[in-house]
Amino acid sequence: MAALPVIASGRDIRLDLFRGLALWFIFVDHIPTNVVSWLTVRNYGFSDATEIFVFISGYTAVIAYGRMMQRDGWMRAAGRVYRRVWQLYVAHILLFVAFSAQVAWVSEARDTPALIEEMEMLGLGQNPYRAILEAALLKFRPVNLDVLPLYIVLLAAFPLVLPALLRRPMAVIAASLALYAVTSHFDWNLPAYPENKVWFFNPMAWQVVFYLGAAFAVLGPRLAWLDRFRLPLSILAVLYLVFAAIIALSWHYNPLERLIPAFIGRIIYPIDKTNIDILRFAHFLALAWLVRLVVPVDAAFLKWRIFLPLRRCGEQSLLIFCLGTFLALSGQVIVDHFEESLLSQIAVSVGGILIMCAAAYAASWFKGGGTAGRDRAPAAEVVP
Amino acid sequence: MTRAWHWLAAILLVIVPTAASPQSMTLCRAKAELLELGSPLEIARKAIATRKQLRIIALGSSSTAGYGVSNPAFAFPAQLKMGLDKALPGVDVDVVNKGIGGQDVEEMVTRMRSEMEDNPPSLMVWQTGTNAAIRHMPLEKFERWLRRGMTIGKSLGTDIVLMNLQYVPAVVAASDKEAYEKIMGAVAHEFDAGLFRRFDIMRGWYEDGMPYAQFVQLDGLHLNDFGQKCIGKLLTKAVLNSLNGP
Repeated sequence: MAALPVIASGRDIRLDLFRGLALWFIFVDHIPTNVVSWLTVRNYGFSDATEIFVFISGYTAVIAYGRMMQRDGWMRAAGRVYRRVWQLYVAHILLFVAFSAQVAWVSEARDTPALIEEMEMLGLGQNPYRAILEAALLKFRPVNLDVLPLYIVLLAAFPLVLPALLRRPMAVIAASLALYAVTSHFDWNLPAYPENKVWFFNPMAWQVVFYLGAAFAVLGPRLAWLDRFRLPLSILAVLYLVFAAIIALSWHYNPLERLIPAFIGRIIYPIDKTNIDILRFAHFLALAWLVRLVVPVDAAFLKWRIFLPLRRCGEQSLLIFCLGTFLALSGQVIVDHFEESLLSQIAVSVGGILIMCAAAYAASWFKGGGTAGRDRAPAAEVVP
Repeated sequence: MTRAWHWLAAILLVIVPTAASPQSMTLCRAKAELLELGSPLEIARKAIATRKQLRIIALGSSSTAGYGVSNPAFAFPAQLKMGLDKALPGVDVDVVNKGIGGQDVEEMVTRMRSEMEDNPPSLMVWQTGTNAAIRHMPLEKFERWLRRGMTIGKSLGTDIVLMNLQYVPAVVAASDKEAYEKIMGAVAHEFDAGLFRRFDIMRGWYEDGMPYAQFVQLDGLHLNDFGQKCIGKLLTKAVLNSLNGP
């Protein structure tokens, strides 16, 4: 491959839209008792919003830094990646502090001996100094704070892979698959704190989603050969999604569960999340394939105003992710306070999403220099 | 069109009540006889009576480590500590969590001595069997290692409570899960150890109509927040039954 690939320059609205959707899903799913989570992918198959988020992150990483490397060289692109990694790290630490503060505040406000119990929640109970150190090293990640560290590790390794990715995307896919296979087989993971914990999202396994997204961004139109198999692939995808939906729904309905033959259970379980089980990965790919067909890049409805809040949230993904994680904890406390009433679940979900949208609009307004009436974010700053 | 809406409403009505897995512990139950450990826990009793102290070590795999729970305080060893603290005022209760995800019986036996020498307990809760069942460890090998562990534990002067397999899709799918369960029961009996019948307790939940999503993570293997908290509460009850029993 002599010539470097041409990386798409226009902003692909789908990326922002589906990333925004993934962020909403993550927020809704992180409230343990929430009827609204029936609107998310999680209950209808094996994969969930995490796959969408990580895949799009890989894709946008190439859009943002691939072109930069071709234009300004590796050094400059790598510099920009590490600036982003630093932003993510700062955001994660801030989120950790905000989280701890919220737990402490809630416990104080309730004025019960639950305080100790709640602080235990953060592992800050026995040895707070050590926990803070381990948090700074990303080894200690309490309560739903697992996704950003995964993203930080993936992006930190990205500059080292980027040159190969631009020249030989297929080779990178092969290497990535190999690392994924070896990691799952030998059950490798990064060190965590306390010692008996693991990285809930193992970066050495989850990198496969990230780099598949990245490689697809490089390959771009060269993926068109897949369309020759459009019909068989689509049939396979639909069949698999239906199968996954039946299994996933069976976890909620025992009569349906009893209909699943035992040999299927023997084959599919457990469906590991830490090392992204092949069933999860395949489920995401099937979903992505169908979305690609149903939602072409130039689909008119993508620009409908009704989708604008989603796109805004997707554009401000880091802010909205952090906010969503924080709000999910608040939501959990509120739902708990109202004895898990349906109304509280719905109110908290809608309220949280409204806050996330307001924050996204405010952030893009600030970024645009405070001018109103723009329809899209500045093209120069496509952030992964 | 209106017909479609009626159908949609009907489906929603079916879904909604079961949908949002409530976290409230009112659903957390077990038959009374399943909360009998079958051991008076003499050593633990004596430690409470003479030293006002109860040191517990929780040895196990991912259930013990609390894999995937949204809050380490929900893992059953932490719940056991909180429950015993409340029930035994004035007694210094400590539960050391020595769960390591993915470990099988032989790996636990290999580290058992050093774990116990670091934290000499008067009660060891040993959770095992699940990984052996889903990986199809030969039954005689499982039994051999289990006995070896019991011998080590007893020789170090502690009461032992064995916690058997969890009732979850991944385990239910394993063809001979009951065989592992039986071995654990027989070995517990033989060594005068307690047996916490997690498998039967959780099967009771399922048979009473509780869906897996209420107590299992979506991987079909690990207990979720509710499952962990409930097992912790029931284990506390069972241990107290033994300590307060005849």
